[in-house]
Amino acid sequence: MSGGFTRIPGKDCGFMSVCEISAGVAGGKYSASEITEMYIEKIKSMDDGIGAFLTVCEESAVAQAKALDEKIRSGKKPGRLAGVPVAVKDNICTDGIRTTCASRMLENFIPPYNATVVEKLLSEDAVIVGKTNMDEFAMGSSTENSAFRITKNPRDTTRVPGGSSGGSAAAVAAGMVPAALGSDTGGSIRQPAAFCGIVGLKPTYGLVSRYGLIAFGSSLDQIGPMTKTVEDCARMLEAIQGRDDRDSTSYMGEYQQDYAGRLGRDIRGMRIAVLKEFFTDGLDSEIASSVNESVRRLEGLGAAVDEISIPAAGDGLAAYYIISSAEASSNLARYDGIRYGYRPKEFADVDELMEKSRSEGFGAEVKRRIMLGTYALSSGYYDAYYKRAQKYRKLLRSQMAGVFEKYDLILGPASPVLPFKIGERMGDPLQMYLADVYTIIVNLAGLPAISVPCGISRDGLPIGLQLIGPHFGEAVILQAAYALEQELKLEL
Amino acid sequence: MKISKDDVVYIAKLAKLRFSDEEIEKLTGEFESILGYFQSIDRMDLETVDPDEFADGRETVFRTDENVISGDREKLFRNAASMRGTFIQVPRILE
Repeated sequence: MSGGFTRIPGKDCGFMSVCEISAGVAGGKYSASEITEMYIEKIKSMDDGIGAFLTVCEESAVAQAKALDEKIRSGKKPGRLAGVPVAVKDNICTDGIRTTCASRMLENFIPPYNATVVEKLLSEDAVIVGKTNMDEFAMGSSTENSAFRITKNPRDTTRVPGGSSGGSAAAVAAGMVPAALGSDTGGSIRQPAAFCGIVGLKPTYGLVSRYGLIAFGSSLDQIGPMTKTVEDCARMLEAIQGRDDRDSTSYMGEYQQDYAGRLGRDIRGMRIAVLKEFFTDGLDSEIASSVNESVRRLEGLGAAVDEISIPAAGDGLAAYYIISSAEASSNLARYDGIRYGYRPKEFADVDELMEKSRSEGFGAEVKRRIMLGTYALSSGYYDAYYKRAQKYRKLLRSQMAGVFEKYDLILGPASPVLPFKIGERMGDPLQMYLADVYTIIVNLAGLPAISVPCGISRDGLPIGLQLIGPHFGEAVILQAAYALEQELKLEL
Repeated sequence: MKISKDDVVYIAKLAKLRFSDEEIEKLTGEFESILGYFQSIDRMDLETVDPDEFADGRETVFRTDENVISGDREKLFRNAASMRGTFIQVPRILE
């Protein structure tokens, strides 16, 4: 199932899939060391032009690969991701490897522990090759809010890769890694996946442990995989999901174990709802026609598609920005210059130490969100903003649940716009916020959703389709995404 | 939505952030447009929604309180700006 894209026409580097590498390393066809060295070389030769990485951990990656080769030689069974080079978004803690959140605040922060997802990757014998660029503290939709560098979209280097997991998306799209981890608070996996023409999955809230993910909006944040193919996405999800006592929001029920095994099953009779609220004035016409074409293809495969309306779905943006900013203002209160993080050289007293640390350590967008959140939570405004937003969230959740009583999936575009030019939207924060209009309702409702490539614009820019499932509906999402991927066979 | 510079200065104080006059000016304008957009939430009918998160049967998760070693002390302190023995050094807060 994994074949078909070892080489992409017009590109000078090979693309290998997660499945190809893990099967090849486990079966002795390749050594983990040669795979790791090949990808490190690729990163070194390509990343100056893309800017996907903040840290490349060559030494530890080579050592890990060597240890894995030793393990295989000694006859021990390797893990499910044997020798697969993985890039990790720089808001996910890696023991001994700098983790900055793309912020001056954490420029020199070296975590004392691994995030649970990193431990899981390592226990499955994946190789961590580097940490990827992002919008500072995951706040943004273009990766332009990084304090350190701009990431370019590998499909068109004058354009943004989306955000906030733009570094992870660009690294995968350019073939510098076969897989990466991102995090998604309001679309930060799905929108960059759409912009870069790759697959990105935001799992159900609670399916993947958030332990070691530097918090932004704790009730919305989820870690998820970003890959070239749906099958690779399924394999990565199998490896990173699971109950974790260190995350009190971790799901306590049964976990589906074999997502990849379900791929390729017929989607005949699958009930798909196309959400009317997604097809409004702000939607790019090329994206609309590409999504509509995918609907026809899915119908051709036997899915039953209806247009439906979720009245609350069109109004989510205000509630999302109120809740996420409120949670951010509270979560980011910990950065006070005392225990870790940026500390100014001179300060008169403890108040000045805190104010200067925060004002000099945080970038403009982070400060803007802290201000908005503080405002929404402040006395006199709490009921008008935060409480109403929470009520909206509950209403949305119940309306979405109502749809899933009749349908298996909800379908729509992942982004209203094609990848925009670097710098184009930086002057107007509200315009930037509108880029998330189709993705935020998924986080507010805690649902899983995937972005899968569904077309290419006239200018050669990728277009992403979003499939939203019910809670813990990852298997059906992946099944439908796989069917569409196989049907479209896009040359991206 | 009318936001004054004084509002922004007050919020900055609560958030322990400092801004230049120029930044305050810019933030005031941005706040006005963003909060204006946020007011779209006022148009929705949410009177009948019960905001209680636990109304649908969800429960708070507890774990047993057990002593565990939560990390290597040296590693845990390696990001502190300045230490004295096993304590993090901070500016004097009492004269």
